[in-house]
Amino acid sequence: MRSAETLLRVEGITKRFPQALANDGISFALRRGEILCLLGENGAGKSTLAEILCGACRPDAGTIHLDGTPRVFASPKDAIAVGIGMVHQHFALVPTLSAAENVAIGTRSSKTLLDIGPITRRLEELCAQYEIELDLHARISQLSVGEQQWVEILKALHGGIRLLLLDEPTAALTPQEVSKLFANLGKMRDSGLAIICITHKLDEVMDISDRVMVLRSGKVVGLVETAATSREELARLMVGRDVVLRIENRRPPPGAKLLDVTGISVLNDEGRRAVRGVSFAIRRGEILGVAGVSGNGQKELFDAMVGARPAVEGEIRLDGEDLTNRSPAYFAERGMGGIPDDRIHQGLVMDFRVDENLILGRHRHRPFAERSLLRWKMIAGFAHGLIRDYEIVPPSGASVARVLSGGNLQKVVVARELSQTPKCLIVSQPTRGLDVAATEYVHRRLLQERDRGAAILLMSEDLGEIVNLATRIAVLFRGEIVGEMAAQGASIEEIGLLMAGVRR
Amino acid sequence: MKPWSVERRQEVGPLPQILAILLALCGAFAVSAALIAVAGASVSRAAAAAWLGAFGDARAIAETLLQATPILFTGLGVTLAFRARLFNIGAEGQLIAGAMGAVWVCMLVGGGVPPAVLIPLVLLAALVCGGLWGAIPGVLKARYDANEIIVTVMLNFVIFFLLAYLLSGPWRDPASFYNQTPRLPAAARFPELIAETRLHWGFVLALIAAFLVHVFLWRTALGYELRAVGINALAARYKGIRVARVTIVTMAASGAISGLAGAAEVPGLHQRLVLDVSAGFGFTGIIVAMLGRLHPLGVIPAAILFGASVTGTSAMQVAVGVPVAINQAIQAIILIFLLVSDALVRYRIRRIGARG
Repeated sequence: MRSAETLLRVEGITKRFPQALANDGISFALRRGEILCLLGENGAGKSTLAEILCGACRPDAGTIHLDGTPRVFASPKDAIAVGIGMVHQHFALVPTLSAAENVAIGTRSSKTLLDIGPITRRLEELCAQYEIELDLHARISQLSVGEQQWVEILKALHGGIRLLLLDEPTAALTPQEVSKLFANLGKMRDSGLAIICITHKLDEVMDISDRVMVLRSGKVVGLVETAATSREELARLMVGRDVVLRIENRRPPPGAKLLDVTGISVLNDEGRRAVRGVSFAIRRGEILGVAGVSGNGQKELFDAMVGARPAVEGEIRLDGEDLTNRSPAYFAERGMGGIPDDRIHQGLVMDFRVDENLILGRHRHRPFAERSLLRWKMIAGFAHGLIRDYEIVPPSGASVARVLSGGNLQKVVVARELSQTPKCLIVSQPTRGLDVAATEYVHRRLLQERDRGAAILLMSEDLGEIVNLATRIAVLFRGEIVGEMAAQGASIEEIGLLMAGVRR
Repeated sequence: MKPWSVERRQEVGPLPQILAILLALCGAFAVSAALIAVAGASVSRAAAAAWLGAFGDARAIAETLLQATPILFTGLGVTLAFRARLFNIGAEGQLIAGAMGAVWVCMLVGGGVPPAVLIPLVLLAALVCGGLWGAIPGVLKARYDANEIIVTVMLNFVIFFLLAYLLSGPWRDPASFYNQTPRLPAAARFPELIAETRLHWGFVLALIAAFLVHVFLWRTALGYELRAVGINALAARYKGIRVARVTIVTMAASGAISGLAGAAEVPGLHQRLVLDVSAGFGFTGIIVAMLGRLHPLGVIPAAILFGASVTGTSAMQVAVGVPVAINQAIQAIILIFLLVSDALVRYRIRRIGARG
């Protein structure tokens, strides 16, 4: 049953950070039994607004009315108490406990002894009501990412919420898990729950939402019925100009074989085999896309391919030269570049200035160093050029990396790696967390590199990205390549099944 | 509902940081003044005596700078290590190692060589011994991931008892009742910087060391690597920096600089090695490095301030009878205020529901 009754009314929410106005007079109303997608580029203020609604952050001005009553939240506890729950992108679950136990430790109880029975029964009811398939007694560490997300959602539902906030809920899911999630969210909506879903994926917005609110620079630039809009219109609203959603990809014929990987196995931090006997070859001017849900060996494969983690078996050859188990410096010297998925921890030194970050790895080489003394004038000139070419904001090499937005941080990494004109580029999740404009930019750059003749290994959880850019697609599941196909004409359905481990 | 909350500040410029340090010092002085008042002395007379004792005339200033010399060295050593996020708590032991090396060279060479030969040898020996003593935790960290805090603290005890053994046996002056070495050759003594005072060229050496550490950190490729490892060792490793090598080199360099403090103290000044050669200079060095915000040039005024705290409080004892132990209390109070001010610079307290 759907009712048009207003549940949430937000008026004039404003939040200023020292660097920017994150939310600028945001007003909207949300009905019961409605899914509202919150769409916007990075830094548009989506997350800030969600944080304010769930009590994690206080607005400088503005009011929140729930059921007509004004509410001020000092902490997420206050928001939960009145029925607002949020599922964050990063889960807060204890891996050694079961789903039911995780819900239990989140509930406040005056009793010393924990009675898990009633909680389990209530969760079973909820699972039945929304047709959620989940083993409540399995330990979190045994659950897939998609199932862990359900535990988070159950945690919120168990608190008896009326409004559910979801931050990028599909970021780590396979296509099949996404459609299951959407089906379940639809049921929750039909039972009267209001849902706000943060995303920047346009397809998802069109699939799931009743209305879309588009934010740009902290302001509401559009609040439309989903049925009455289009992906193109939403993209235009979001970016403020026309955007090429599907980049044109001519896929020139590749050249000679450049990178040859045969049967490599790589251990993870626990000493288990995360990559098992993987073989592939990439030619000049070719992009090999590696699809797969993260945690299936991508991290270890990336590390091995840039020399940061030894291969216990197999060989990595570049242009015939054996690079296996050489140092990261040696890999880089031979022309291997790497764009890691975790730019903040693996790619950048956040307390370094932008110019210092742009020479990381080349700080011992001419022209940046002469007889081991750094030449700051050369470095500044070099940084200035890259900042201009890549339109990095703020446009100063002297600013500390920490103040840059995610998209600009990624531009620093991409600029640094591409400025070395690598023969071969290992790329992992190059657009994770990036907005539409920055994504378009990174994609263009990668295609340019390919056209220049670079061999590119592109690992991504974003299937659209892989299908769009790659020449060939391989699917990684539990450390093995379980399928390989040409990108043109590849079936998303088939790749999705391979990603989930279903073999033909 | 809680009326207050704590939020992290986005970015902090250098000016608020300097202001915060000055405010912290004011607060620390205020509390110290209260302590003096509780001890029953006139605060104004105590303050006047402290000022005169620390900066009253050329002789007082010379003594203050003399006191600042060893903690300037140890402060620089600590700064270097902390910049690489290596928590070297062993400056105390590295100072003793440096002093032992310097004394050993003096005993080997004897009194028959001119200062122009002996003093460079003494400095070299202190550098090498301090450096080796610092390199041990560096190697253990790089090879076996041994926690450098624990190793350096334990090595402090090791070298202290090694010193106690040497002073009670092999190196003991047979002519003396005390556990101490014989008087070292006069040629090893550092030339005085200001006539008729104890201040020697070791202070100038420390200033040069501060300048060199500054140049090293911000002008050399290795210094760049050291800072990169200190901020994000993972990214540094991915980009080809050999973290293990940087760790060992940094710890050795940190120990070597602290070792120079030993050379400046023993052949340079006291001429005899005694058990309490270091009055906690290694630990004071940590506070001085923090006060200087891990900036080599910031360590200079910090060390001078702490030198003044020593000379000032001893003058205070003479003038108004406050015990010199107040010196340690003042230093501890300064550290506490510094830590608090640092937290307040990074975070702010906000009233909930307040208008924007």
